[in-house]
Amino acid sequence: MRYNERLELIMHEWTFERTTMHLSEKDVRDIASYTRIGLSDEQLTQMTVDLNNIIDTLAPITQMDLEGVKPTFHPIGDLSNVMRDDVARDSFPREVALSNTTATEDGAFRIPSILGGGDE
Amino acid sequence: MTQTLTAFASMSAEEISRGFIAGDFSAREVVEASLARIDACDKDIHAFLEYTPKLAFAQADKLDAARAAGTAKGTLLAVPVAFKDNMNQIGTHTTCGSRMLENYVAPYEATCVAKMTAAGGLPMGKLNMDEFAFGSSTETSAFGPTMNPWNTACVPGGSSGGSAAAVAAGMVQLSLGSDTGGSIRQPASFCGVVGFKPTYGVVSRYGVVAFGSSLDQVGPFGRSVRDVALALNALAGRDPLDCTSQECTVDFTANLEEGVDGMKIAVVKDLTFAEGVSPETLAAVHSAVDNLERMGAEIVEVELPHVDAALSAYYVIGPCEAFSNLSRFDAVRYGYRYEGAKNLDEQTEMSRTGGFGDEARRRIMLGAYLLGAGVYDKYYYPAQQVRTLITQDYVKAFEKVDALIMPASPRTAFAFGEISDPTSMYLSDKFTISINIAGNGGLTLPTGPGKDTGLPVGVQIVGPQFRDDLILRVSAALETCYDFERVASCDGGPLPAASKGGE
Repeated sequence: MRYNERLELIMHEWTFERTTMHLSEKDVRDIASYTRIGLSDEQLTQMTVDLNNIIDTLAPITQMDLEGVKPTFHPIGDLSNVMRDDVARDSFPREVALSNTTATEDGAFRIPSILGGGDE
Repeated sequence: MTQTLTAFASMSAEEISRGFIAGDFSAREVVEASLARIDACDKDIHAFLEYTPKLAFAQADKLDAARAAGTAKGTLLAVPVAFKDNMNQIGTHTTCGSRMLENYVAPYEATCVAKMTAAGGLPMGKLNMDEFAFGSSTETSAFGPTMNPWNTACVPGGSSGGSAAAVAAGMVQLSLGSDTGGSIRQPASFCGVVGFKPTYGVVSRYGVVAFGSSLDQVGPFGRSVRDVALALNALAGRDPLDCTSQECTVDFTANLEEGVDGMKIAVVKDLTFAEGVSPETLAAVHSAVDNLERMGAEIVEVELPHVDAALSAYYVIGPCEAFSNLSRFDAVRYGYRYEGAKNLDEQTEMSRTGGFGDEARRRIMLGAYLLGAGVYDKYYYPAQQVRTLITQDYVKAFEKVDALIMPASPRTAFAFGEISDPTSMYLSDKFTISINIAGNGGLTLPTGPGKDTGLPVGVQIVGPQFRDDLILRVSAALETCYDFERVASCDGGPLPAASKGGE
């Protein structure tokens, strides 16, 4: 990292209150909403503690010199895409595809109204 | 010599298969013997989430008919097997230990399940696990924990705790588990059985509910290295339905008796003498090293300089992949659905809230955070760079040696509730995680009861990528050095000699 970048980073850190909190309760509330997981106030407090503790343990990878190291997104990194012949093959019949839900209509998955509080 | 089924619980897969072929007993009788053992043990152990006697008897009748006709073929003929409950098997529930999938019935077959039954295995049921494989103790299963067959006050390890316990208690000869960060090797160590995570790509993952797609690998549990090698023969190979699976024509039983004379095997100093390793675990590694040396292996030391960062890299990569994989649970096509929601948003949120347990929520939310804008560059990208360094560490090590030896777990099985803080639970995977990051195979070999706790201790053998045959060869040689009871009675000790029959 260049000197100026480091300086900027340090300045940036100074302008914020230094705590070990990576995530505030509000942040965690936002993540819960984004991942569609409902949390009670009590659960939110505990989740905030847990996530901050876990993120603390991730520190080693932020402290390593990784300049110029290529990432490996997959353990068998040298493989190229695997393609199959473009030939149709059997798939689930519709009734099997629908067998694990109780909400169906006319051979399709049925979902509630997407907008608003529909009372159909 | 003929084998009778009075010794069922302590018989190997190979003995059962041979006995069936020789006509000593029928496949139906094997199912009955397995069910009797399950009936005697599982009320105390709770290894199973579902029993499948109908499927087992149907398969047995097919095998008995094939034998009568002289057409019975397969490497696991009449061998009782069971599957971790994240593996789809037609007509069975596949719950992943979660309320989310409590009522889900598999409409298709996982390739690993299909291959075990095609080889002649008798499917006895589905096995308990940590919810969606998030855990190291099987305590996070929504359907209650599995007990360690050697001491029911202790956990069996996890996440494949049911798979390890069922084999340790002699209920089945072979089981399958999945290993994302140690979920085969750690429970194998806790339960005193052999557990093998092959190299990523050796076994198809098709039909196994995904946790961390770049880390997950399916593998077998058994009570001997030979049985595990037989299972891997049935499992390995390319599957058009999993593009990461590889061609494999190796006979994994071929070199089991070749020994270790002339091989170079390394101790990883940083992993073996690490903080928190119990004295009995350290003693087991020392004795294994002595034994390997005595059999002609040259013991050296190697360094894996970046392996310390594996745990943090894993707890970035794993949750990110889990977050992505678990986004499919939308309560529309399958899974728990909250009834009476006023709109789709509410249905999705109420269903995911009702379906996922605490640990699943933690991992999903952690993954979502780590993949967020700004955070991605701080954790996710560096984690994948660290993966490069760890992989290179292993590649360099295997330029010098044939195999590595290290603990599988820092300690023996802990008591229920003993580790309640999620961060401490994560640390128990210290020795298993780095090869999921690098992709290599690793096997837990039990070395007998620990001198302090009396609970099973194991060592881990790791090999170069796609040299799973080498791992099995070293393990088979080492196995001959240990003599201890392999089957738990389920009430706190080995099976009494009287009930074992003649061997």
